[in-house]
Amino acid sequence: MATALPANDDFVRRLLPRLPAGVWSLSGFSVVWFGGIVIPLLAIILVSFFQGRGIRINIDPTFLQYERFFSYGGVDLLSRSVRIAATITFIELLIAFPFALWLAKGCKNNTVRLLTFTALTVPFFLSPAARVIVWRSVFGINGVVNQALLGIGVVDEPVTWLIFSEFAVHFGFLGFFFPTMVWPIFLSISLIDNDFLEASNDLGARRYRTLVHIIFPLALPGVVAGFVFTFIPMLGDTVVAQHMGGNNVLMLSAQVQSLIGVSNFLVAAALAAVVLGIMLAFQVVLWAALKPVGGLNEVFANLRR
Amino acid sequence: MTERKGKHSKHLYFPLSRRHFIKGAAAGAVIAGAPAVLQGLTRRAKAQEKGVIRMLFTAPTMIPGDWTRFEADTGLKMEDTVIKDDPGIFLTEVEVNDAGDRFDLISTLSGVEQTLIDGGYITQAETGSMPNWGGMPDSIKGIPYLVRDLSPDGGRVWGVPLAMNADSFGYLPAKLNEPRPPEEASWSLVFDSEKTMGRSSTGDNYIYLWEALAYLKNIGKLEVADILNPSPEEARATADFLIERKQAGQFRNFWKIFDDQVADMKNGEVDAIRCWEPAVREANKAGGDWVYANAKEFYTKWLHAAYIPSQVEDRGNLEEVYTALEWFLSGGYASTITPLRGYLNGRPDLATEYAARNGMEDISTDMDAAQEKLKLKFAKEDFWFSAVPTNLQEMQAQMDRVLNA
Repeated sequence: MATALPANDDFVRRLLPRLPAGVWSLSGFSVVWFGGIVIPLLAIILVSFFQGRGIRINIDPTFLQYERFFSYGGVDLLSRSVRIAATITFIELLIAFPFALWLAKGCKNNTVRLLTFTALTVPFFLSPAARVIVWRSVFGINGVVNQALLGIGVVDEPVTWLIFSEFAVHFGFLGFFFPTMVWPIFLSISLIDNDFLEASNDLGARRYRTLVHIIFPLALPGVVAGFVFTFIPMLGDTVVAQHMGGNNVLMLSAQVQSLIGVSNFLVAAALAAVVLGIMLAFQVVLWAALKPVGGLNEVFANLRR
Repeated sequence: MTERKGKHSKHLYFPLSRRHFIKGAAAGAVIAGAPAVLQGLTRRAKAQEKGVIRMLFTAPTMIPGDWTRFEADTGLKMEDTVIKDDPGIFLTEVEVNDAGDRFDLISTLSGVEQTLIDGGYITQAETGSMPNWGGMPDSIKGIPYLVRDLSPDGGRVWGVPLAMNADSFGYLPAKLNEPRPPEEASWSLVFDSEKTMGRSSTGDNYIYLWEALAYLKNIGKLEVADILNPSPEEARATADFLIERKQAGQFRNFWKIFDDQVADMKNGEVDAIRCWEPAVREANKAGGDWVYANAKEFYTKWLHAAYIPSQVEDRGNLEEVYTALEWFLSGGYASTITPLRGYLNGRPDLATEYAARNGMEDISTDMDAAQEKLKLKFAKEDFWFSAVPTNLQEMQAQMDRVLNA
């Protein structure tokens, strides 16, 4: 649909051919996206097949960087990272969905809702390290939890696996990524017209049936968005695994930092290429999972209703 | 915000059209991107600002608390930037991101000179432009990595010393029933002691693999041909040892940064830890009883040096850069960095007199102790830290194998 430029925008009118603003913005975005995202990604994949040292690269095709990556424990690293990210994303979904439903449709008190919004937003204003490091004094050997457990006699010695362990990393991620799962689901549920819920009720559907057949399908765009905004950033997180895991639980991003720290850019590129492959596989899984409900287009079509 | 009333529902919504959205997004992108663009355009101009020295550090502990003394003594303003002390990060900042365009001085662990020289990234410093250079002890002038491939007699050097130390580890002598310095303690407290099982820690990069290798060499468990350049096989054997210790439950964690070291000690997570000396001081300020070991086997001897980026020659502020370098060789820097960190600069002999002249507390005890400590520690054979060993990437890969185990 052509969009007319404002009458007083003669300068812009002269400067641009008479094309819809949408086309211009889309073209501009495509150029920026291609130049800023796609080309660098292709470059990363390309250099992962070269040899070199530091910033000096020899154009001599090889799989050496991939061999090196996998020989230094790459399979363990990948499986650990994906396992932790997938586990937490699933748990987040289980916790965030009812919370978002309550916030969008159940909470009638505006003050409570405002306070909840604030609580979900405030963490984004803190540095990621500050959001996580506080748990060290809670779960540490001399932390609050251990003091309490010792105080009530549940244990004789401090529990050491509360921090610098996989448990600690899982816990750290749980709080860290809760808002990224809640927000999209909340927005999605908020857009569901109450008429649908009332109609379902009028037709005799129980709450569970309304949840499964009305709310969940209409909230799927939020669920998909929450899944993407939680799972993918978690794979790239540099804070939680370091501060909560104490480098006992190495994840992908820490490995990339480590490689860059010694100018091993080519193995880092190979790792990045492998991660891109995982992302593509993730898209395929998502596409397959949504196929029974009409695919991604049908899921997001709900937003246009 | 507009209120729309439906028959059965009531929603609050923003009248956001596609046009508004596009305009907003474009304006947002311009506003968000402007600082970065402007910073890029003005970064050369910034580095040329008169009366200001912009210096790149790779260790926060090189900064003497604040720059009050520096500014009072030199009349210059110091703007410092600290990046992580990985050679890859530092060299990328210099080689790819043109640090010389933005910084008047760059500093890191000595040993990277050859890379910087080969790439033409640094220029030589005239020792004649730094009067305090002349009084520097020969033992410091002779540090191999400071004047690599140069004749200091020619009056030109690549690096100017900032501060140096001989690193070991911190431990709790009373709790572990271990002697206090000056008596020696073994690195086994960090790597393989029943006393510290599950309560020791070391760093997460190749340096700490290197130290484990030095430990194995010193206790006779590993033949090492050249401690300054471990071979891939030696690195692998060391990694195997660390993996065995890790799986036995020796290590509480593997720290990444200075703050992690301090937190481990303050929070009671460990009883022995490979750390920087200032971390022990920080932990003791919080009531700890930590000591920094006089190590039985070896020390990691290091020197942070400052380098003049090549771009400075055309910038017109070389005189100010030399004023700053001279300050780092003065009693002003010595009298702040030694009491604060336990490190020594190139002219510790000037500190006591400087402190007296400027009405500071008597620091003679601190200075004497630090000089004595370094004299003792630097006498140990192993080993000088060279930031870029030939097999750097292999060593880090082996350390990553330890972390992944």
